[in-house]
Amino acid sequence: MNEENKILWKKVLGEIETDISKGTYITLFKSTVLLSFENSIASIAAPSIMIINLLQKRFYQTIKKSVDKHTGTDSKLVFIPKIIPQDVKTQQFKSPLFEIPIDKPMTIGHLPRVRSDYTFQTMAVSSSNQLAFVSATTVAKKLGQSYNPLFIYGPVGVGKTHLMQAIANEVYQKNPNKKIIYTTSEEFTNEVVEAIRSNDTARMKKRFRNVDLLIIDDVQFIAGKERVQEELFHTFNILIDADAQIVLSSDRPPSEIKKIEKRLSSRFSGGLTVDIEPPDFELRAAILLIKAKKLGIELPIEVAKNIAQKSQDVRQLEGFLHRVVTEAKTKGDEITTIGADDALSNHQEEKRMFHPDEIIKNVCSFYNIKPTQIKSAKRSAYLVRARQIAMYLLKKELNLSLVEIGNILGGRDHTTVMHGLGKIESFLTSGVLSGEINSITSRFKNY
Amino acid sequence: MKVSLLSENLSEKLLLVNHAVSNRSQLPILLNFLIKAEKGVLSVSGTDLEIGIKIEIPSKTEEEGETTVSAKTFSELLSTIPIGKISLVTKEKGLELTGEKIKAMFQTSKAEEFPKLYEDKGEEIVVLGKDVFGKGFPKVVFAASQDQTRPALSGVLIKEVEEDGKNFLLMVATDGYRLSLKKNPLDKKSGEKREVSMLVPSRVIRELLVLSKGADRVSVYASKENNQIVFYQGDTTLVGRLIEGEFPLFEKIIPKDFSTKTIFDKEALRKAVKACYVFARSSANIIKLSIQKEKIIVHVNSPQVGENTVEVEAQTSGEENEIAFNGRYLLDLFSNIEEESMVFEMTGPLNPGVFKIKGDDTFLHLIMPIRVQQEA
Repeated sequence: MNEENKILWKKVLGEIETDISKGTYITLFKSTVLLSFENSIASIAAPSIMIINLLQKRFYQTIKKSVDKHTGTDSKLVFIPKIIPQDVKTQQFKSPLFEIPIDKPMTIGHLPRVRSDYTFQTMAVSSSNQLAFVSATTVAKKLGQSYNPLFIYGPVGVGKTHLMQAIANEVYQKNPNKKIIYTTSEEFTNEVVEAIRSNDTARMKKRFRNVDLLIIDDVQFIAGKERVQEELFHTFNILIDADAQIVLSSDRPPSEIKKIEKRLSSRFSGGLTVDIEPPDFELRAAILLIKAKKLGIELPIEVAKNIAQKSQDVRQLEGFLHRVVTEAKTKGDEITTIGADDALSNHQEEKRMFHPDEIIKNVCSFYNIKPTQIKSAKRSAYLVRARQIAMYLLKKELNLSLVEIGNILGGRDHTTVMHGLGKIESFLTSGVLSGEINSITSRFKNY
Repeated sequence: MKVSLLSENLSEKLLLVNHAVSNRSQLPILLNFLIKAEKGVLSVSGTDLEIGIKIEIPSKTEEEGETTVSAKTFSELLSTIPIGKISLVTKEKGLELTGEKIKAMFQTSKAEEFPKLYEDKGEEIVVLGKDVFGKGFPKVVFAASQDQTRPALSGVLIKEVEEDGKNFLLMVATDGYRLSLKKNPLDKKSGEKREVSMLVPSRVIRELLVLSKGADRVSVYASKENNQIVFYQGDTTLVGRLIEGEFPLFEKIIPKDFSTKTIFDKEALRKAVKACYVFARSSANIIKLSIQKEKIIVHVNSPQVGENTVEVEAQTSGEENEIAFNGRYLLDLFSNIEEESMVFEMTGPLNPGVFKIKGDDTFLHLIMPIRVQQEA
C-alpha cells in the first residue's frame, strides 16, 4: 500500500461519503483499503466476504465511476477479503505476561532493599576508593573468611551504599540460596523496637542470627540507643562465631561514633576498617560518564569534566547531570560545555544564599556558645576551636576573602584567619574534625 | 414463497440467529432476517457483517422464494404465538404469517440486498468432537481479550500439534495478563496431511458454544484466501472471519519449574475468593493468596472498605509462598472449570502463577501476579 494509492482511495472515499448515508459509509467503507492499482485493476481490501458481497452488489458502479474519474481509465474492481490495520499505533500494548525477561532463569529475582544495578561492575574505581573496593570484592569472594567485620566509612555520596549492595548482589548472583540481609541501622532499630513491643524478640533474633551475610548501612545512627546496641552486640558475636560475614558502614570511624558502647565499637574495629575518600576529580568525571551511559546519553568528556568541577558530592553530581541533560533536551540542543554552564549557573547562586551570620549562628549553636563570644577577643580553647571552624566554613561555603572573614569575626587580622584555616585543614586531613563539620554544614544546608 | 411449518421449531432457533443481528446496525438491511424457502427446508439468516448465522428447519414448501423481514418484529411475534402449524406466504404488501387464530403481515425488503454469508465455504479442515466444543473451548475462550484494537489477542488460536506420536488440537487464548491453554486428542485418519493453525475471534467461538449445545460433532471449513471460517452443526451454520496477525509466543512463557505446589478444592477456593472480592472491588481487585503447609489463606485489604481473610484447606509441597492476583481473573477461571480438584504452582510473587486440573496435563492456566508492596 503506497502513498499514491492511499491518496487516490482517500479521494474516492471522500466522494462516496457525500453521496451515501453515514451509516452505510461507516459499516461498509470505513475499513476498506486500496491495495494496488495496476493495469486499470483496482484491488480493494475489505474485512469480510459479506461486506464484499454488499459492496459488489450495491456500490460497484459508484466506486468504479469515482476511480475512473480520478485515474482517467476504464477500471475494473477486484475485492480481496483482508483486514488491514489502519493504525499502526494500535499494535503496541501492554501485555505483562509476555514482557517477562525470558533469558534470565526464573529463580533469580533480586534482594529486598537492594538495587540490582549496584554491582561491582558498575562501580568506578580510583585511588580514593580502591582499598575499599578491593576489600569488598575479597569479602564477597570469601564470605566470613577474610575480613570480618568489614567496616567502611566515609562522607556522604562517596559510594558506601553502592559498595555494600554490590557485595550483596555478587554473593546472591553466585549463590541465591545464601541468606543475605541488607538493612539500615534505622530499620534494624525499628525491628528491635517492634519486637520488644510485640513481645516477640525470639522471631527477630532468629531472623538476624541465622544469616550468611549481614549488612548494616549507616550504623552510626544506633548511637545512644542502648537496647539496640545490646541486641546488635549479641547478634554480632553469634554471627562472628558462626563465620557469617558482617559488613557495616558509617560516616566516621568506629572510634569516633559517640554514645556507643565500648565493647561494640571495639568489635566494629575488630576486622578491617577502610575509608572511602571523597572522589577525586578524575573519578568524578568517570562516574558522570558511567551515569550518563546508564541514562542512554553520550556525554562529551569536556562536559563531564566541567560538571565534575562543580561538586564533590556524587549525588549532587548526578543531580547536575540530570539538570544538564534535561535542559539540553527541552531546548533540543546537543549537550555542550556552554549549555552545561548555563544549566548549572543557577546553582551557583543557590550556594551563595547563606548569610555569613547564618553560618556563625549554626557554629555557635553547635558548640553552645553565643555569637558575641565567637566575635569577642577572648581566646579560651573552646572558643578558638569554634572560631576556627567558623573561619573554615566561611571560606569554604562563601569563599570570602581572609580580610572579610577577619572582619566578620570581630576584626581579626587576616593572618589569624590564615592560621585558623590551616589548623582546621590539618585536622581534617587526619580525619578528626570531619564529623563535627559535616553535622554543622548539614544544619544550615537543611535550613 | 409459500411454506408451512411448526412454529415451535422456528421460534426456538430464531434466538440463535438473533445473536448475529445487531440492533444498532447502521445499514437497515442488516436489521433484517433473510428468509428463504427451498425444497423441504426453510432457512433464516442474520448477519452483522462480522459474523453470520443461518439455521434450517424442516418445512413443507409449496412455492420456493426468499424475502427479508425485520428480525426484531419477526422473532418477537414468533415468541408470543401459540405452538402449532403456521404458514408463510409472500404477498404484494409483504410477508403474511397465518396461524390457527392469527394473521400477521410483515413489511419486507428485497432479498437481493441481503449480503451472502459466504461465497465458497472452503475445504473441510477438521471435525470437532463434543470434547472440544463442550469441554475444551469453555476453558479457554474467556481468557481472550475483549479489546478489539488488539486483534491477535482477541482471538483463540486453534492449532494442531503432535506430541508423542499422538495428535492434539491445541486451543490457546490470552489477553496479555492471563493465558489459558487446552489440548484435546484429535482423531486423524492416517495419511491426512492437512495442518490446522488459525486464529478465530473469541466472539465466533462464544457463538459456537451456544450453537453447539447438545450437538455431537461440528465440522469446520476454512478458507484462508477468503479469510473466513465456517462451522457446520446439523442444521446450523456459523460464519466468521479469521484474524490475521501474530499470536504471541506463548510456549516461552510457560514456567517449566515451580517451588510451591498446592492442591485445593476448586469450589472452596472460588467461594473464598468471592467472599474477598466483595472488598476487593475498590482496591483494584487485588486478592492475596498465602500458600501455607495445609491451607491457602485468601486475604483482601481495601483501605476504604475493610478487610477479609478466608482460609481454604490445601495440601502444599515445597516452600510456603505468597502471591497477589486480580480477583476477577481467579473468579473467571474457577467459574469456567467443572472439575473439582485443582493444582496451583508458583515460583515467586513476581512470576506467573500456574493453575492446573488435578490429574490432567492437557489444561493450563497462567495468571500474571500483581506486584504489591510487602507489608512490614
